[in-house]
Amino acid sequence: MRLRIAYTKIEDARYIAHLDLTRVFERAIRRAGIHMSYSEGFNPRPKISFGFALAVGTEGEREYVDVELQEEMDLGEVLARVQEQLPPGIRLLQGRALDQGAKSLMAVLNAASYRIRVPMALPIQEERLQEAVSGWLGREHVTYSRYSKKGPTDKDIRPWIKLLEAKIQGDEVIFDLEVEMGNSGSVRPEEVLASLRELENLPIELGELQVIRTGVHVSYEGGKSSPIELA
Amino acid sequence: MSNNTAAEIRRQVERFLPKVLKPSRYIGSEWNVIKKDWDKTDVRMVFAFPDVYEVGMSHLGTRILYHLVNSFPEFLCERVFAPWIDMEKELREKEIPLYALESFQPLKKFDVVGFTLQYEMSYTNILNMLDMAGIPMRAEDRGLEDPWIIAGGPCAYNPEPLVGFIDFFLIGESEEQLPEVLRLVAEQKKDPVSRQDFLRKVAQLQGVYVPEFYHVTYKEDGRIEKIVAEEGVPALVEKAIVADLDQAFFPTNPVVPYLEIVHDRMMLEVMRGCSRGCRFCQAGMIYRPVRERSQETLLKQTEELVRATGYDQIALTSLSTGDYTCIQPVIHNILEKHGAEGVGVSLPSLRVDSFDVDLAETVQKARKSGITFAPEAGSQRLRDVINKGVEEENLLQAAEAAFKKGWSTIKLYFMVGLPTETQEDIDGIVDLGKKVVNLGTKLGRRNITVTISTSIFVPKSHTPFQWEPQEAGSSVELKQRYLREKLRDRRIKYSYHDVTTSYLEAVFAKGDRKLAPLLEWAVKHGCRFDGWSDQFRYDVWMEGLKELGIDPHFYANRAMDYDDILPWEHIGSGVSKQFLAEEHHRALQEAKTIDCRYEDCTGCGVCPSRGVQIELKG
Repeated sequence: MRLRIAYTKIEDARYIAHLDLTRVFERAIRRAGIHMSYSEGFNPRPKISFGFALAVGTEGEREYVDVELQEEMDLGEVLARVQEQLPPGIRLLQGRALDQGAKSLMAVLNAASYRIRVPMALPIQEERLQEAVSGWLGREHVTYSRYSKKGPTDKDIRPWIKLLEAKIQGDEVIFDLEVEMGNSGSVRPEEVLASLRELENLPIELGELQVIRTGVHVSYEGGKSSPIELA
Repeated sequence: MSNNTAAEIRRQVERFLPKVLKPSRYIGSEWNVIKKDWDKTDVRMVFAFPDVYEVGMSHLGTRILYHLVNSFPEFLCERVFAPWIDMEKELREKEIPLYALESFQPLKKFDVVGFTLQYEMSYTNILNMLDMAGIPMRAEDRGLEDPWIIAGGPCAYNPEPLVGFIDFFLIGESEEQLPEVLRLVAEQKKDPVSRQDFLRKVAQLQGVYVPEFYHVTYKEDGRIEKIVAEEGVPALVEKAIVADLDQAFFPTNPVVPYLEIVHDRMMLEVMRGCSRGCRFCQAGMIYRPVRERSQETLLKQTEELVRATGYDQIALTSLSTGDYTCIQPVIHNILEKHGAEGVGVSLPSLRVDSFDVDLAETVQKARKSGITFAPEAGSQRLRDVINKGVEEENLLQAAEAAFKKGWSTIKLYFMVGLPTETQEDIDGIVDLGKKVVNLGTKLGRRNITVTISTSIFVPKSHTPFQWEPQEAGSSVELKQRYLREKLRDRRIKYSYHDVTTSYLEAVFAKGDRKLAPLLEWAVKHGCRFDGWSDQFRYDVWMEGLKELGIDPHFYANRAMDYDDILPWEHIGSGVSKQFLAEEHHRALQEAKTIDCRYEDCTGCGVCPSRGVQIELKG
């Protein structure tokens, strides 16, 4: 049977690299005494697949994984037994059996939302904040330079942004951000805030920002839904 | 360092952790980790591995001792590894002291910091870790409020270059000895006595070496004149040994790392010790006698390991697993019981014979990638010198079997610079390599690769070759160049070890107390991770040797006399010096010595002197 499971990747688990996550689930499921299906070929690997990678250090409040098992089992029992074997910070939230032909996570997911907390470098008034956000969103194109070993590459990040909202909480600014994601890439929350600071002169302390990915979604004209509901 | 509570350290570290390489090295919340209540334990120890997490976590001894100490309710044991360069930079910049993974408590707060000595080139990491912890490197600069800095492992058989930094060394197998040490530390915490008095008590335990009670004097030419033990401590510190391996503690719930480590699998120790008697091999001498675990014990441990870890591979470890008498039934039973769950077996050390190729075939699960043999020397004469009981015929049969069973890559390990080596022996490496590769071609195999790798002979203490010099680097380099030329063949890949690293390894392997200032100097000048070729700074080491007026050739390239007092003369492996000298003599006569496991006792001395015996289960 194929399963789609929603889980958290928070606390210490946020430091687990995406590439290591397969092993973490694989071993937990094996400790739980549940038999996974394996790929064919010389080096059979268990059939476990994820959606878009979460950056190391970023907490994920609702991530998804697909797992294929050798036999039909009670969903509740699978979740309970696997949960017992998972390290702290990975909590299983919900599960659903997939239809045989259901598309993979990578094939359906196309958006992600983030909550970002960032301290102010100088006091910011509510009005000033809203001005900056709407000013930034009003731009048709926003060029951002990414630096790599090959030198800088310019990218227009504006088309990826679906939503950006901000509010003040104490001496921090809280941003809610929703971005498109696709095989051709996406934009990182850090890049959006860096651009906002630079283009709109918003005094925020980027060295201290905290990012949480609140969810990944299947987004369509006029709405979005979770890959579990949709499956 | 402002506020060094565990909570504050954790808070500060979490701020930059996403920026360093592989942050899950530094968080310590892996599966099966043991987090005890700090306040409810009498003695707190941190097991310190002076290399990165992935190397340290792959080490079986670390796994055993971590769980052993924690099996006592009154003791607590945590872990710390050498932080990689980027992490060190962050910690130092922010003045955060080195902390233990489980609790984030700074090392300074522990009662005991125990280093394991697996490799000479990790010594600078030990001093650097102490420095990062804010613990004075020199024992004389530490007070009673500082932790006891102790060390064990194979390199403790010549601990002398570390004398001055380490309070005491544990020689031999620590399963029984370490808990005794910790019991004395508990007593000391309750009723403190002076440092001297405490160390005197510890020195009474089997295999405990307290260097400050041993006084070394030197001749004018730099050789040792004598080593005098103070009254009340043993003149010869003899190793601790586990008499009944079958009943010995073995953890079946090891910590399962998040990131991929070097040996990322379950480890089942099928036996300890090896009596093949290769004359260059320190492990083969210091872990005597051979003691096997019973099949019943191993199968029970396998079952528990599979349940507790979720790994899909189990390595049957020992110095020479093909020699384990029950190897076939154990493999058969493991595969029968756990094969359906996808659990495979791996054999890390194969003998050069077709029997072991059959074993490798049995356990091979995935595509046949490579199979490794270690003939060690290129000619029969030299293999007799080193007592590597391998005939060319064995190797060719093994290679033929491997090719026929479908392997396309064969790796061959050799050493260069072995005692008595001549040009013919080097040509022998070329010959063997070509014979193996031609055999593959003759058998109709396409796309075969023979990888030949040569390490450089490093004479080690407590071996028959301990008196031997290391060959001069310039001459080793000529041999490497020669081999590179001669092995130019698209089917052959040749790789070789760095001369300068092996040279310093020899200096420390045969070194004495006069090297301690050099280590200190090197650390102060930025040396660390010397075993990592991208970090090793030979020029800095050479500068240090020059500045301190130390002649490295004196240690690495000088042949010692039988009547020289060796720097490790007062450390006993149970194998007598007499036996080692006879073996050295036999080596020079190209005479082989038998394996006492199958034939008569060869008189190495370990069984009678230590009241132990060979224990075979087959």
